[in-house]
Amino acid sequence: MATSWPKKRRLIGAKVQRLDGPAKATGKAKYSYDINRKGMLHAVLLRCPYAHAKIKSLDTAAAEKMSGVKAIHPIKKVGEELFWAGEEILGLAADTEEHALDAVRAVKIEYEVLPHLVKEEDALKNDPQTVSPVGGKRNNVLAAKEAASQGFEKGMADAAVTVEGSYGVPTICHQCLESHGLVAEWNANGELTVWASTQAVTATAAILAGHFRIPANKVKCITHYMGGGFGSKFGPDIQGIVAAELARKANAPVKLMLDRASEITAGGCRPSAYGKVKIGATKDGKVTAYEVDCYGTPGVGLSDTVTFNALPYVYPFEHKRKHVRIRTNTQLQRAMRAPNHPQNCALTEFILDDLAAKLEMDPMQLRLKNLPQNDPNAMQNAPHSLPALRHTIYTREIEIAAALSKWKEKWHPPGKTPGIVKHGIGMALHTWTGQAVPQRNECTVIISADGSVTARTSSQDLGTGQRTVTALVTAEILGLEPEQITLQFGESPNGASSGSGGSTTVPSQAPATLRAATAARDDLFAKIAPKLSAKAEDLVIERGKVVDRASGKSWDWKKACAALGEEQAQATGFWTAAESNKPENKDVSSSGVGGVQIAEVLVDTETGVVRCTQIVAVQDCGMVVNRLTCESQVAGGVIMGLNYALFEERIMDRVTGRQVNPDMEFYKLGGIEDMPKILVYLHDMPERGVIGVGEPPVISTHAAIGNAIFNALGVRVPHTPFTPERVLAALAAKGGGQ
Amino acid sequence: MNDTGEHNHLDQQDVGPTEAGLSRRDFLRTSGAAATVAALAEVPAALAEEAPAQSPAKAIGPEPVQLTLDVNGAAMTTYVEPRVTLLDALRNYLDVTGCKRVCDRGTCGACTVMVDGKPIYSCTLLALEAEGKKIKTAESLIDGGKLDAVPAAFVKHDAQQCGFCTPGFVVAMRAAFDQNPNATPAEIEEALSGNICRCGTYQQMRDAIVALCKNQPGLGTRKKEG
Repeated sequence: MATSWPKKRRLIGAKVQRLDGPAKATGKAKYSYDINRKGMLHAVLLRCPYAHAKIKSLDTAAAEKMSGVKAIHPIKKVGEELFWAGEEILGLAADTEEHALDAVRAVKIEYEVLPHLVKEEDALKNDPQTVSPVGGKRNNVLAAKEAASQGFEKGMADAAVTVEGSYGVPTICHQCLESHGLVAEWNANGELTVWASTQAVTATAAILAGHFRIPANKVKCITHYMGGGFGSKFGPDIQGIVAAELARKANAPVKLMLDRASEITAGGCRPSAYGKVKIGATKDGKVTAYEVDCYGTPGVGLSDTVTFNALPYVYPFEHKRKHVRIRTNTQLQRAMRAPNHPQNCALTEFILDDLAAKLEMDPMQLRLKNLPQNDPNAMQNAPHSLPALRHTIYTREIEIAAALSKWKEKWHPPGKTPGIVKHGIGMALHTWTGQAVPQRNECTVIISADGSVTARTSSQDLGTGQRTVTALVTAEILGLEPEQITLQFGESPNGASSGSGGSTTVPSQAPATLRAATAARDDLFAKIAPKLSAKAEDLVIERGKVVDRASGKSWDWKKACAALGEEQAQATGFWTAAESNKPENKDVSSSGVGGVQIAEVLVDTETGVVRCTQIVAVQDCGMVVNRLTCESQVAGGVIMGLNYALFEERIMDRVTGRQVNPDMEFYKLGGIEDMPKILVYLHDMPERGVIGVGEPPVISTHAAIGNAIFNALGVRVPHTPFTPERVLAALAAKGGGQ
Repeated sequence: MNDTGEHNHLDQQDVGPTEAGLSRRDFLRTSGAAATVAALAEVPAALAEEAPAQSPAKAIGPEPVQLTLDVNGAAMTTYVEPRVTLLDALRNYLDVTGCKRVCDRGTCGACTVMVDGKPIYSCTLLALEAEGKKIKTAESLIDGGKLDAVPAAFVKHDAQQCGFCTPGFVVAMRAAFDQNPNATPAEIEEALSGNICRCGTYQQMRDAIVALCKNQPGLGTRKKEG
């Protein structure tokens, strides 16, 4: 049966307050970190203090005798090699956290300290080789990926003007406020329940079941509230497995949440990307070729630190690209909010403004000249897809952003404002996918005879407002108010769902909810029609009531539901990428968004301090479901992007191999007084169906701010974060900012 | 040491909303530690060893000692080691979890509670030092169905996402308005400068602040949330 959104929408697209707001704001909401079970033990991990070492000896005898110690679980053995400072060695549980911390200090361990490399520029020399062997060989520098388009050489040769630059973004940390971890509890039947801080409730349960070789239905994962993940929390991780192991050994519930230093050094990081970029263009600003040669570190991992096939970013230039992965003795990189897109954005958007300056052009005009065209094939076959609409969307979004930011009045040639504190304005573009995932996502809606309605899913609400989205879609279909829907969320037995990553949850879950609520309504109609002396096909929902179109009679919701008698109406809806792609379901969920951001800054050329004063964010996300939380997502993305631009950097110490700022004093995040005015404009296109919006708004903010600083100074500050030191260094290199 | 009140720095200094906690200097000044350090620098080690004998402080711990705290108007008793912070006593021993542990070293504000009306980083205070004080956490800002005006504004303006920092912000903001019901938005922002949000809810928080400041002087009275 075909699925479609209601033509007339009362709640979808409106501003609906999040239903868990009061519980969260008053501290009543119980996060995984807040779970205290009877007889619960506290666990901590012993971590390697060296960036590269071998365990020579390990003696836990003294630790085992310490007061309150109930269980120890080894992770690494004598003779094993450790590849980064923070790597987990063993877990220990005790009756109190104080005892656990004392006991872990009593573990006697000797290391053979081995050479390490923690900085990209050092590891680039590939000598010594300090990382784990792959295929029997140790290599800090992995083979380069290289590619070029056919027209690149000609494009560069044809260029009337070329510009070169070096740009980069450092490794940054997810810095989730609720750290990674969980509470694990086994019952007498050998069933495990975990309260996990995770973005993937069902996957966490499945991984634990796999680890313990027990049936999947013997593990329950609960995540009612989650204090930030940003891509770093997709399973139990080692600490979750260790907590469950300790709980089994000690026969008691165990809580293991990472402390702040561990959260930062082991809880995830976004990889760095530094590159040399060259661009060529005609005199009137048509880019003819783009070349990038970049590197970055995935830590001890192997993955790319840019999205290789999306360089150049957004713009379809003739190109040549090269990427080198440099393995260092630092924690494994993890997905972070629009993984690798901010890196791509910086490596593309900065040089556009440098080119515009050389051409003495307004960089907005340069971008308008080089936007990707609408794809004629896509216009035929998928008229609501991003390829079919990209030129239209970006052009319109740039117009909107220009008007909101007063670009025409405020833009000036770079470095041309007088005085010590200089004004600048800059822009950048981004894109993201945000579609339904291949995996099945389910939602179940139950209508009881007393009129109460329950919507149930295993999917999780990370703070994005998913709970409220489920309630408002259900309420829309049933003619109710969102607060009338009881939500059962974030428990793995509640049906199939996928992890919340890639901005996929709303486009996967909202259609499943739409189907569940619609089918539950139809089940209700079928069951009550005979008792109401009506035909099911004549019954419709109006706000708060059921109406018989044939007789004109109506019953208020509760009265209509009472006709269920001993029964209840119920249905489960599901959604997948395959469902989304079926012609009969077109425009329920879609993929592909564009976004434009314009930043304004004031830069003090004497102190180097950058103050961002305003950011305009224009974002497409298909059909807006909850305008209130959607705007919050966009503003929140902008703020995170501002943190990337001005504050965030993981700083590794070359000598000790440790991070010197695994905290919140020296790993900086902005406070309320650091915030600019943020203008969010949702470029609503309901005809496209729902598309995820969690990630895209974070992507281009740092590039827009970087370009605004360039506009202020006429000097490029090449690397984020744009600290006073870097601003002053860039000014000094170019002979001052006056 | 708290039973004499002698070292109780909360009585001796004004912890303003702009510095929700203790500065290192104030801590040293009021705890006597600064004096001890100075003395040790000047006197021979043998003499210095006698210094503790002159101290009037009663030695307690390291074993757990009885702790009674006044939390949101209720007397709560448990046993904690003297090294346990107010934050950990509340969360781990008394199951009061509205105050969150994030940085655990006086930077982020997620653990903010009111101690005798003043916003304090509860990770910077030993639990025993809070005995005899009135402790208020975010949980006190809802009474039955009645939501205090501050959390109500957070809800209305969507000034929270994951919500993990939110109780700390709410308590800091409530304390700032309690201190000055006529505070301007800029003054409230200053009072929140010791709190950090990762999701980026500051824009919506500003909307909440502006709405609350407009509501003056009725802010001090609790509003019923519909």
